[in-house]
Amino acid sequence: MTALLRAEDLTVRFRLAKQSLFGPPVHLEAVRAVSFTLEKGRALGIVGESGSGKTTTAMAAIRLTEAAGGKVLFEGEDLLALDDEAMRARRRDIQLIFQDPYSSLNPRARVADIVREPMDLMEIGTPAERDARVRELFGLVGLRADQLGLFPHQFSGGQRQRISIARALSTNPKLLVCDEPVSALDVAIQAQILNLLARLKEELGLSYLFISHDLGVVRHVCDDVAVMYLGKIVEHGPRDAIFDAPQHPYSQALLAAAPSLKRRKSEGYVRPMKLSGDPPSPIRPPKGCAFADRCPKAQELCRDMPPEPHEEGALRVACHFPG
Amino acid sequence: MTALLDINDLRVTFNTRYGEVTALDSVSLNVNAGETLGVVGESGCGKSITALATMGLIPSPPGRIAGGSIKLAGEELTGASDARLRALRGADIAMIFQEPMTSLNPVFTVGDQIAEAIMLHQKVSAAQAFKDAIALLDRVGIPSPAERARDYPHQLSGGMRQRVMIAMAVSCRPKVLIADEPTTALDVTVQAQIFDLLNEIQREFGAAIILITHDMGAISEMADRVAVMYAGRVIEQARADDVLDAPQHPYARGLIDCIPALGKGETELREIPGVVPPLHLLGAGCAFADRCAHKFARCESEKPLLADHGHHPAACHAVEEGRI
Ligand SMILES: Nc1ncnc2c1ncn2[C@@H]1O[C@H](COP(=O)(O)OP(=O)(O)OP(=O)(O)O)[C@@H](O)[C@H]1O
Ligand SMILES: Nc1ncnc2c1ncn2[C@@H]1O[C@H](COP(=O)(O)OP(=O)(O)OP(=O)(O)O)[C@@H](O)[C@H]1O
Ligand SMILES: [Mg+2]
Ligand SMILES: [Mg+2]
Repeated sequence: MTALLRAEDLTVRFRLAKQSLFGPPVHLEAVRAVSFTLEKGRALGIVGESGSGKTTTAMAAIRLTEAAGGKVLFEGEDLLALDDEAMRARRRDIQLIFQDPYSSLNPRARVADIVREPMDLMEIGTPAERDARVRELFGLVGLRADQLGLFPHQFSGGQRQRISIARALSTNPKLLVCDEPVSALDVAIQAQILNLLARLKEELGLSYLFISHDLGVVRHVCDDVAVMYLGKIVEHGPRDAIFDAPQHPYSQALLAAAPSLKRRKSEGYVRPMKLSGDPPSPIRPPKGCAFADRCPKAQELCRDMPPEPHEEGALRVACHFPG
Repeated sequence: MTALLDINDLRVTFNTRYGEVTALDSVSLNVNAGETLGVVGESGCGKSITALATMGLIPSPPGRIAGGSIKLAGEELTGASDARLRALRGADIAMIFQEPMTSLNPVFTVGDQIAEAIMLHQKVSAAQAFKDAIALLDRVGIPSPAERARDYPHQLSGGMRQRVMIAMAVSCRPKVLIADEPTTALDVTVQAQIFDLLNEIQREFGAAIILITHDMGAISEMADRVAVMYAGRVIEQARADDVLDAPQHPYARGLIDCIPALGKGETELREIPGVVPPLHLLGAGCAFADRCAHKFARCESEKPLLADHGHHPAACHAVEEGRI
């Protein structure tokens, strides 16, 4: 396998508004020395609670958010070291789709123009070639050519997400970053979009960095999974290993919390592992393991020393007492 | 024996620019004390309108209850006076909404808001009501409840706000608690806490719960019985296990099959093609016909009624005629 995207010790710090006029500036470390690898032709899922840093990690990895430290290798080339012009040339290899297909499409533009715009901006092909490509993309994502002249509000949520996907694919990218791409859709429509993404990955050899809070969706789409908690990856590895035998107590709690058709009220289902409380404040992260005060296994060591990621079978786990 | 909450043949219409549309059509549901009824279906199928009708909160105009009955412990609620409905709301029947921020008042502390709800229905002093509010915050699992009671809604996390809503809703020990997608905006771990809390409350004082959701997984974990809705009608209703293990209506089966399950890998998901038709375009036939693989002539001309065709009640001609 070859790596398409490798993040090494990626760190992102936001400067927050000062609490008082003369106080020191307050920083929030949203991503704290995160490392991961996305192999060519595969999908890496990022899961974790709201605010754990999923979006910021992905945005920093494709240089849409400034990193405070670390490296991002895209096909071996350090994206963070590229000058603006070289980065602009790289942009066509990297595209994004977002959660909300309602607000991410320009309401006043015809959908054909929306899909063509990235090619116009990057001056890809002749105008005639771009039009032909738009038609081809419409077919690819399951829209009809007679819909090319319509506006976004004339489409349903699922169709709008198809338009976003067509637009993202217009530059023929290698990497598609999908940030909660089906969270705003009804389950029935979700299935249509997930099947489409799976088919496109196969047919076009795409790689996905795929963010979702829905573990079922991640299991369905992704080959590898990274679990984030308070700005760090706490567990990372092949999908089946994480889902079938998670080693980090937080991954275990996430899986126990996700609703499943196999758990029945009639059988008196009781959750094996419950989390109480909320994650700690990212402004003042604990000095030890960030999960310690919610963790049923936590001991002195956990509160004193942050666990370093290490191999546990197929997984990389950052926990003093995994398993 | 009649159920604690018994909804029969409920019909709700709205005046729209397309004329009068039927948002609920012959909806019949019931729920007993100590029982959880799950109501599931795609966006726009009428779940919230069913809840609002039960609470006497249909916005009118443009909406109105055009037929049917809603009985709470034998008392008819359709046509009841506003004063009577206000007295029942909060005391006998309470609702938790999807987005707690819209139903909490941003300028009052959460303790004051819960105390207010208590004083509305019980003759207690303000001081006692505030004490009761703190006890309720403690009961719903909010740490340091005495301090949190003095917080304003925006100072709390989404999960804590939803707990405050639950505390307010159960402050008078309602007989029926309606939870309309209470966890959609929350993380799974927080959702699990809220679900566990609802179950504890039910065990503690025997409330009937109506849980509205679009998630069959939530149904599986929480519901004793299920009603599946589509385009304003109940198209299948039975014990949760019966619906989950042997869904009869093609739409109910579709809702179950299209969920990417935690336990399985990357086989292709079953899709339900197309989208829900808008209310003003509903014709004479089955509203699901255009998306259905089992459609035949009768589906286009005649609305199927909810009836038992051998397994459990479903509203489908193909099931009735043994074609599936
Ligand atoms: N522009 C910003 N300025 C300051 N803080 C920010 C900014 N963007 C994000 N954060 C903070 O960084 C942390 C990580 O946020 P991020 O949006 O990456 O989380 P997430 O895992 O994507 O959450 P969600 O599931 O809610 O989308 C949070 O504490 C968030 O409040
Ligand atoms: N004020 C209104 N005027 C006209 N139609 C309305 C009004 N309120 C609701 N409706 C219609 O009634 C139908 C049922 O809406 P309802 O809010 O009950 O759906 P729902 O099942 O709760 O959906 P969701 O999952 O999105 O919350 C929808 O088709 C909606 O468009
Ligand atoms: Mg995000
Ligand atoms: Mg609703």
